[in-house]
Amino acid sequence: MNTVIDAHNVSKIYNPKTVPVYAVNNVHLHLERGEFTALVGPSGSGKTTLLNMIGGLDKPDEGTIIINGVDVTQLSANQLINFRLNNIGFVFQSFNLIPVLTAKENVEFIMQLQKVDKAERDKRVNLLFKQIDLEDKLNERPSRLSGGQQQRVAVARALASKPQFVLADEPTANLDSKSASNLLDIMAKLNKEENITFLFSTHDQRVIERAGRVITLVDGRVVKDTASVSTRHEEEATIK
Amino acid sequence: MIVIMAWRNIWRNKMRSIVIMFSIATGLFAGIAVLALYKGMMKSRVRTVIDAEVGHLQVHHVDFKKDYDPKFVLEDGEKLLQAIRFLPAVKIVTPRSITSGMLATTTGSAGVQVNGVLPEREYAASRLKEKIVEGRPFDPVKKNEVMIGKKLATKMKLKTGSKLVLTFTDTSGNIVSGAFRVVAVFQSDNAPLDERNVYVKIADLNTLLTSGNSFHELVVLLENDESLEKVQQQLKKKFPAYHIESWREISPETDLLVKTTDQYSYIIMLIIMFALAFGIINTMLMAILERTREIGMMVALGINRVKLFTLVLLETIFLTLSGTPIGILAGWLVTGYFNKYGLNLSGMGREMMSSFGFGTIIYPEFPVDKLAGVLFIVAGTAIVSCLFPAMKAIRMLPVEALRR
Repeated sequence: MNTVIDAHNVSKIYNPKTVPVYAVNNVHLHLERGEFTALVGPSGSGKTTLLNMIGGLDKPDEGTIIINGVDVTQLSANQLINFRLNNIGFVFQSFNLIPVLTAKENVEFIMQLQKVDKAERDKRVNLLFKQIDLEDKLNERPSRLSGGQQQRVAVARALASKPQFVLADEPTANLDSKSASNLLDIMAKLNKEENITFLFSTHDQRVIERAGRVITLVDGRVVKDTASVSTRHEEEATIK
Repeated sequence: MIVIMAWRNIWRNKMRSIVIMFSIATGLFAGIAVLALYKGMMKSRVRTVIDAEVGHLQVHHVDFKKDYDPKFVLEDGEKLLQAIRFLPAVKIVTPRSITSGMLATTTGSAGVQVNGVLPEREYAASRLKEKIVEGRPFDPVKKNEVMIGKKLATKMKLKTGSKLVLTFTDTSGNIVSGAFRVVAVFQSDNAPLDERNVYVKIADLNTLLTSGNSFHELVVLLENDESLEKVQQQLKKKFPAYHIESWREISPETDLLVKTTDQYSYIIMLIIMFALAFGIINTMLMAILERTREIGMMVALGINRVKLFTLVLLETIFLTLSGTPIGILAGWLVTGYFNKYGLNLSGMGREMMSSFGFGTIIYPEFPVDKLAGVLFIVAGTAIVSCLFPAMKAIRMLPVEALRR
């Protein structure tokens, strides 16, 4: 296994000069390739802030975040854009597909930004749509897809750039249970078969149960970092 | 993909885009209409100057125009006239005897330029016959007939049949006078010219001037405007002893008017587009602010600032240019119609129009020569209009934009 994310003493402080509020407080986080990790905690616990900092969308006030050997806290805004494009896949809570592009174009868009040639793009698009089981929806606009289908396209888009890992902020929050279960199946399969690293922030018990590792944040601090219930059950079964 | 996105983005809010395209088309149509009207007016003014006032070229004694002294006749004028007459580019040549003098009636007097003309040739060269609004052309037999402009006639309370006295100096410097009868009142598209000029037959004037068969001016009309420079150079080379001027030199105010009108046209176009720019900026700002989350998401995914700027720029250009063909087409159709049937501005008053040297019927002409300039202004407007919304977009922080 090799390290994908290595965060040291990471803090995010709002109002540092008046009444300092620690959104994230001295967090250490170490993720290896292929982990399927859930970041859980109550609202306001700092999950999204931590994900944003790991994703290079926000900068920590203290600490370092090393992704694949690169300290992202030291990168300029332009370098960060490029770094995100080539290293990180994002899945957002409210799907966030580009409405004027078709499902295929949404996935292709990222590869175009990476200057991947047309033949390779077509190959990857076909493979990804097969993996998310939406081969018949390639040319549909997002408005003609269900929430679950849109989120599956968002997963395909996140994977299109061949990222080091995928950050998913509450990916099942706006989905019904069937769509959520379907999405989790796809992500779990990609994690297992392609060894893709996933880091979720979630409230969803279904996600937590299927995660290999669960990190609990409260008031910006990591209060628990354990294997998930299912993993513990699997481990206990193996020991017995 | 950026181009496709930009094109599709402008159709996300169809009504808003159509409204802004319609305003651009209307603004462009208004601009083209103004350019066409100005072009038509200027063309008509130049035609009037050439065809009805000064001709393409005029030939004088080198000292004549200093004081308009009648002693400076064109030496060997008849030979010169014949030589010019047979040049292939020349359509008409007509001689004029000219002197400045005083027109007196029982009620008053006015300073005038007396033009002695050969009636038939003058009618062809300056359309004098066509300008008659009262009376008749010169009688070939009768002596001492005069044609006066309507403005002068009104001022001096003269009408056809009235008598007047013209007083001026002859070629020897003696004061001479002659009684003339008004046979016609003419009205041209240039009221100031009508007020200053009276026409008599060349023989009558030359008798008073004691200048025999000589004359002071040759008016040359060419077959086409394009050969002007060439013919002028040719004549200057062939007849270096004479003062040969083109209409641009004789009527520099017309030349200046044409040139400055071109600039005014562009200024009006710029003002129209400047006003439209605010509408475009507003539309683009609304479009950007509505898509804050989407733009934040695109930046999060890795779209760089140059591509984001290009996206906003292309959207603005598409929005602006989509209205352009409609505006140009409308301008072409409307100016085409009025170019054929004329735009009657008599409602503004013939007196008023002619005091500026224009006729009341204007034939606007679609400004093909200025189309590139117009498109340049439109494209410039689009680029300038996109700057503020584009800066707004590229300054968005993805983490904040995604929270919206």
